[in-house]
Amino acid sequence: MRKAWYAVLVAPLALAACGGSSPGGGGAAGGGSGETIKIASLHPLSGAAAADGQQMDNGAKLAVEAINAAGGIKSLDGAKLELVSADSQGKPEVGQSEAQRLIQEGAVGIVGTYQSAVSANVATVAERNKVPFVIDVSSADSILNQGYKFTFRVQPSATVIGEEGAQYLFDVSKAAGEPVKKVAFLHEQGPFGSGVRDAFKKKATELGFEVAPAISYDAASVADLTTQVTQVKASGADVLAVAGYYRDGVLVAKAVNSVKPPVNAVYGVANGAFDLPQFPKDAGTAGEGYFDANYHPDYTKQPMKDLAALYKEKYKDDIRTGAVLSHESVRVIADALERAKSAEPAKVRDAIAQSNLESLMAQSGPIAFDEKGENKGAIPILMQVQKGTVNQVWPKELAQSDPIYPAVTP
Amino acid sequence: MTNNQQSVSSSGTGVPEEDTATVPAKGRGRRSLGAALGRSQLSVVAVLAVAVLLAYLLADSPVIATQAIVTGLLIGGVYGLVAMGLTLIFGVLDIVNFAHGAFLAVALFITYWLVSSMGLHPYVTILVTVPVMFAVGWAVQRGVLSGAMGKPLENQLLITLGISLVIENGLLLLFGANPRSVPLPGDRTIGILGAVADLSRILAFVGALVLAGVLFLVLQRTRLGTAIRAVAANNAGAQLVGIDTRRIYALTFAIGTACAGAAGTLVSPLVTVEPSTGALFNIVAFVVVVIGGMGNVVGALVGGFVIGLAEQLGTIFLPGQSPLLSVFIVFVLVLFFRPQGLFGRTS
Repeated sequence: MRKAWYAVLVAPLALAACGGSSPGGGGAAGGGSGETIKIASLHPLSGAAAADGQQMDNGAKLAVEAINAAGGIKSLDGAKLELVSADSQGKPEVGQSEAQRLIQEGAVGIVGTYQSAVSANVATVAERNKVPFVIDVSSADSILNQGYKFTFRVQPSATVIGEEGAQYLFDVSKAAGEPVKKVAFLHEQGPFGSGVRDAFKKKATELGFEVAPAISYDAASVADLTTQVTQVKASGADVLAVAGYYRDGVLVAKAVNSVKPPVNAVYGVANGAFDLPQFPKDAGTAGEGYFDANYHPDYTKQPMKDLAALYKEKYKDDIRTGAVLSHESVRVIADALERAKSAEPAKVRDAIAQSNLESLMAQSGPIAFDEKGENKGAIPILMQVQKGTVNQVWPKELAQSDPIYPAVTP
Repeated sequence: MTNNQQSVSSSGTGVPEEDTATVPAKGRGRRSLGAALGRSQLSVVAVLAVAVLLAYLLADSPVIATQAIVTGLLIGGVYGLVAMGLTLIFGVLDIVNFAHGAFLAVALFITYWLVSSMGLHPYVTILVTVPVMFAVGWAVQRGVLSGAMGKPLENQLLITLGISLVIENGLLLLFGANPRSVPLPGDRTIGILGAVADLSRILAFVGALVLAGVLFLVLQRTRLGTAIRAVAANNAGAQLVGIDTRRIYALTFAIGTACAGAAGTLVSPLVTVEPSTGALFNIVAFVVVVIGGMGNVVGALVGGFVIGLAEQLGTIFLPGQSPLLSVFIVFVLVLFFRPQGLFGRTS
């Protein structure tokens, strides 16, 4: 009890006495030496998405440490990498000014930024300054539809996730002998949620199943989704698809548990909750059997298992997909530096465009970019919560176990 | 008087758009009752009744409308709960307290910490959160805010904003950003007229009612409450009759913060515990305070219900739109027709 008093009283007051602290901060303590090459990591280290942002920053750090430990960039006389971390606070304008600052400090490439709105702004800065920007997480298609030359994306776009998500659902339900007929689509209202919905709906129409109703909510402020799930129940849909983030994903699970809509499966599409290791803990038995079609690390690969173990040891937490993507994005830049034999941003950009790099993510092939800057190998895979753990279940060649469909018994 | 009458009839036409036929009839029927209960309160009830009726007509199935109303009332209780402490501070100290959500987050983390490390029942921790937050409120008012009392509004506003940043980032530093949860032992789903609600939400709702009742009694029936109301009504006059206004300021801020403490414990089973969780409630709580009438505890509770219902019924009236849209439509209409709030007095 004394500790609670201490934590509550002393910490804020002590900080207040210092005159208020500014959130986040840079990691650029050294800098200036000719032998190090700076790579910028720009993520939401404070604010509502801080948990993901910090994970991603950690993932980037682990990549830099691994590359330096293996001898740095060999074609540049073993030059070491230095990661400069910055906090976007999840705000587009902060992300934009921080990107400008990082470039002025001499970063040869930027990795980031999680929120699509922030990435869209950072992409314009990268383009203007001719410095490569590798997007680890941000799904909105529109970012790469501007004809940018300096922006690349490692994760699959909203369109790819939505289309593949519909395909997997079709395949899995058909294989189980209960082909999907009608999907109710619950999604956050931003460009991410509606982008995924549109792609999913288009593919579903091609495959011959219906998507109705589509219900949206505000992920930033929603406090209860019972009414929305009741709408799903009344609609008679046999699958509930959900595209959203973590907090609202847990609310969906709680609402589904109370309302008990008679659906065969709760099916996440790029859902930020259902495939995370802590989701089964937070949702309890309510989350059992949930599917998620999402980009995901490939845990059938040994290096990925090693990275997860290293992360757990170092940061006392389970690694999330975002952190792996940041890790891979740093590797993309390091690999380009190696092949460009130069730390000049424009040459690094050209080398990134020629990438052909094996990835720790579950992909259909190595990381390689098309002319728009999309990763050609990026695909989502299907996960399911089975007995409290998240397993890869589809496509077959990447599966750790078989999908259980129908998953939820009403 | 004429002003009031205008607000009755026109606020009726404003809220649900498709409903010009029913409103004039309602307006006439209310005139006799209006004298007894206050016209603006009655018009709220009338508008809500119309909105509820419309919801049943527009919803695909009646159970959706019932669910929206049940959820709206329950969640409205939570909004009212959070807003009560805020409205007290607003009304008495004239401080726009941006740190209220952060205080709530502190209470959430105390609850989480006590539950996870000592295995206490979540609701038992209210015995710790309320006194601790009372002390925090007292210390913050005395230590940081008292020097800014009577200064321009933005002084206190910036201070409380600063406090909220310090607390949020302090929590981030101490606990990390990973979301946590506080499970309520024995939480289950309860059916209400075909709709469903979690026991934890119903208990939070009951807690809000109890807290509003206690605050109301304290303000109306005790010497302290009388002194607080006196300071709110006329600071100089209160000093002249021998009230120590500095003490009342500190006490009121402490009581308001203790309310955030109680709210934090009561909502802990409903939300994910993160440093930014409190900030989620901030915007809605301010809307509730203004709608209810600044400084009016019962008004905060009713304002909470109005906003909770607006948010939930909004998903039926405006499908595919943000629930905040309907909240702010209601907010703007109330501000337009009754700037002092539903329960506020014209100053």
